[in-house]
Amino acid sequence: MLKEKVDVTVIGGGPAGMAAALEADSLGKNTLLIERNPSLGGILQQCIHDGFGLQTFKEQLSGPQYAERFIEKLAKSRVRVMTDTMVTDLKEGRVRGQNPKDGMVDIESKTTILAMGCRERTRNQIFIPGTRPSGIMTAGKAQYFLNLEGYLPGKKAVILGSGDIGLIMARRMHLEGIDVEGVYEVMDHPGGLQRNIEQCLHDYNIPLHLSSTVTQVFGKNHLEGLEVCKLDKNGDPIEESRRYIACDLLVLSVGLILENELSLKAGIELSKASKGPLLDESFMTSLPGIFAAGNVSIVYDLVDYVSQSAEFAARGAVNYIDGKRPVKKPLPILPGDRVSLLIPNFYHPDYKGDSLSLYLRVTEEKFKAQLSLSQGGKLIKKIKQLVVRPAQMVVVRLGKEELSKLNDKDPIVISME
Amino acid sequence: MNRVSANDFRKIKKRIASITGSAKPTVDVEERRPGVVTFTGKLDEWSKADLLCHYAGKRKSVRGVVNLIEVNGKSLAYKANDKLISQGREKGLIGKADLVIVGGGVTGCGIARELSKYKLDIILVEKEADVACGASKANNGMIHPGNAVIPHKLMAKLNVEGNALYPKWAEELGFKFDRVGSYVCSYDKNDWYIPRLASIAGKINKVSDMHYVDPDIFMKKEPMVYIKPRRCLYTPTTAFVDGYEVVVALAENAASNGVKFMLESQVVDIDMEDGKIASVVTDKGIIQTKMVINAAGVYADEIAAMADDQFYSIHPRKGTILIFDKNAKGVDTCVNAYPKVRAKNSKGGGMQRTVHGNQLWGPTAEEIVDKEDTSVTKEEIETVFNNMTLINKNMKMSDIITYFAGVRAATYKEDFIIEASEKSQGFIHVAGIQSPGLASAPAIAKMVEGIVKEEYLSIFEKNLEEKEDWNPKRERPLAMEDLTDEEKDKLIKKNPAYGRIICRCESITEGEIVSALHSPLPVLTIDGLKRRTRVTEGRCQGGFCEPKILEIMSRELGKDVTTISKNGHDSFIIKGKIRSREEDNLHA
Repeated sequence: MLKEKVDVTVIGGGPAGMAAALEADSLGKNTLLIERNPSLGGILQQCIHDGFGLQTFKEQLSGPQYAERFIEKLAKSRVRVMTDTMVTDLKEGRVRGQNPKDGMVDIESKTTILAMGCRERTRNQIFIPGTRPSGIMTAGKAQYFLNLEGYLPGKKAVILGSGDIGLIMARRMHLEGIDVEGVYEVMDHPGGLQRNIEQCLHDYNIPLHLSSTVTQVFGKNHLEGLEVCKLDKNGDPIEESRRYIACDLLVLSVGLILENELSLKAGIELSKASKGPLLDESFMTSLPGIFAAGNVSIVYDLVDYVSQSAEFAARGAVNYIDGKRPVKKPLPILPGDRVSLLIPNFYHPDYKGDSLSLYLRVTEEKFKAQLSLSQGGKLIKKIKQLVVRPAQMVVVRLGKEELSKLNDKDPIVISME
Repeated sequence: MNRVSANDFRKIKKRIASITGSAKPTVDVEERRPGVVTFTGKLDEWSKADLLCHYAGKRKSVRGVVNLIEVNGKSLAYKANDKLISQGREKGLIGKADLVIVGGGVTGCGIARELSKYKLDIILVEKEADVACGASKANNGMIHPGNAVIPHKLMAKLNVEGNALYPKWAEELGFKFDRVGSYVCSYDKNDWYIPRLASIAGKINKVSDMHYVDPDIFMKKEPMVYIKPRRCLYTPTTAFVDGYEVVVALAENAASNGVKFMLESQVVDIDMEDGKIASVVTDKGIIQTKMVINAAGVYADEIAAMADDQFYSIHPRKGTILIFDKNAKGVDTCVNAYPKVRAKNSKGGGMQRTVHGNQLWGPTAEEIVDKEDTSVTKEEIETVFNNMTLINKNMKMSDIITYFAGVRAATYKEDFIIEASEKSQGFIHVAGIQSPGLASAPAIAKMVEGIVKEEYLSIFEKNLEEKEDWNPKRERPLAMEDLTDEEKDKLIKKNPAYGRIICRCESITEGEIVSALHSPLPVLTIDGLKRRTRVTEGRCQGGFCEPKILEIMSRELGKDVTTISKNGHDSFIIKGKIRSREEDNLHA
């Protein structure tokens, strides 16, 4: 059994975990990075399309390239990397898990940063009726097969859900010679970013069917076909629009679920809206000393945001170790009108940082949108955006001056007009 | 054999008239052999055919009901599969056995294991790529106590006996067995009789230790139940198992004791000589044998027809089950309570905790015509969910991680048929095995053992001999979750594969997967592996681990990934390789 004592343990070696570990290390803390796969990079390794790192590196990188930058830095750092290791338990300053080399692993850690990311929603969670054949898989799994293994999961595909991975897979499958019949989206607006609609669907003449869904699965052993259908305003099927499509692959891109099984087991309080840990401005969870970075707390649009959030969390963890935590009672930061999710959820009035970033999502599409951040009825900051969409994360940065306007008793509310 | 009484026959005719309209009945009934009524003709709704056949089944003098009624072009009538028959005959003789068991469910595998103690060459033929592919896997895993079965039926006797035999099975075969008990509750004047009936039936069927408990005590034991019932009948002998774990354990033990398993092989015909079994034709070739045990589940009527002895129809009855995330809190035992709705023609289902700790709700009961129809509709999911949330409001739709349907192999007499054929020597019916078939399985195996002994004596004119080296024990595969941290650490040092978790949701290691792949009964499919190890069964449903599992299977079984399937036949996961990869292979 491997026993160790460290300052910071980071669970998860994807973009969030790598950035968090590097930041903690650069601030002089003894840091351990634990990854369940045999190599670092997480889901980035299968994202061979470009568009990563525009903010962080001012370059268009592919997922593996983005990951490689961090992996190289890690190699030069003092961070201890433990791959092939699954954390199974997190309790009272101890991180426990196992790996083939060391056997059981028991780490005593002053702080822990959760960076487990998220997983995809499955067929069972969206209730597509019909048989249960092979040939139905999440977009991420199809991506893994194509990009990492070089396997074709089918010849003719239908994509359900217009999340970003689904859109990217539409293009990817098309390029590999898979006939992509179309993308079907339950909502009346796309789930993914506009740029992906343009670059992945329009450029290849792949149709996007909004307010439409798959209503039945056919095929005893392998998928043979699907019934698709348009939905009316109430979300009910329009009978005459029912249509049969013969296909051997159904790719699901129907949302992501934050991987918080470990957090739940540890007793961390989760947000009812995002299902991720409730965080303060330092990205600390409800359990002192446990922080969260990246998609484990909210699904970010850009990997750059993930890396940023990880650095916040790492700095928070370092301050915690150094006894530099704010002590005043935290104020809640609440989503107001037309704001669905946001992070962080609490703010300490005696927070000493220079700036604070709020990451949020709105409930509807709006052109020339105005968002306002207020406290106790007093407007602190107004934010104008040309266009906002539910699929697109809004980042609001408060500078030193704006932070100084905040009082230490009222909740902070952010809403869209 | 006794004939159907004139009175019963008249009643059945009258019933036909009332269902089809008396002017011109579209359905006819005949007594083609003594005691057996056969319906022919056409109806516009399956429920009408069902009503009619069940009505006939309830008549005392009716021994069996054969339903050949056609509804919208579909029927339960046996049609010989000429293509597969000629395919099998062309392949010729592929083996010889003293006895062939048709069907690898809990019934067939239970019998195989029981008979494996004798000096008999046994071949078990299963049409799917694994054992337990029918009702044995798609059920709620309940070992019923025997108070939900109408007294004096064969299934009542075998249920109570089977329940009592389970602890021994579990001990010898190393499967999980949780005797948690169950409650039958009533709420108002609409359902007051449900615990009452269970209590009366239980007493007649000799179910031990049943008693009423104070509803307050029940509410304390099951804090997740939302509405307090008026009466609660507690039965301590109710237990839970994992249906497929039981079947796999039986099959592995049978295989270790010499039973041969022919998977992905379908019995398509049976050859007779002078009213005696001569051989079994499968799509893979012919097996010479003098004895056949028909444990074919929903297909038992068709197998019986192949042996010229069909006196019953198997009418499929579908049940839908929901499984919840382990984090969703529910009951600790099994609670049968229906404040508003009561499922027809079923033990009713309820809410329970599986042996793996997930909440399970269901099953429903729906008469269908297609024996392979295990599809699940949105309405069925909602029905189960809405019924149960009446008493447990804690669960959310989003907590459901999977749902499935199983098909019960029921006869219209709604009882088991376990007997040697009167017409075809060497043929043994083990048919109509529906709920509580899993609970009754040990007793069914014993009963069939007795029949086989007699048949053997009359066919071979000598007594069956026991093997000296029969081993009733099957070691439970090593499961990491049962070990302490020190034990895990030691094991990983010995075999590092046990340190590598492949299925993160269920914490299943590569070591456990590899060990399952090399168990006495070959595991050929992803579903087969899932059933043995629970890989891909958790909340991500294989989203992360399936590619890795494919890789491990490909390596361990020495098969190309494109030939590895979900559940046999053409259920492949991978359709081919991408262009550059194919070119790599060309250059290599």
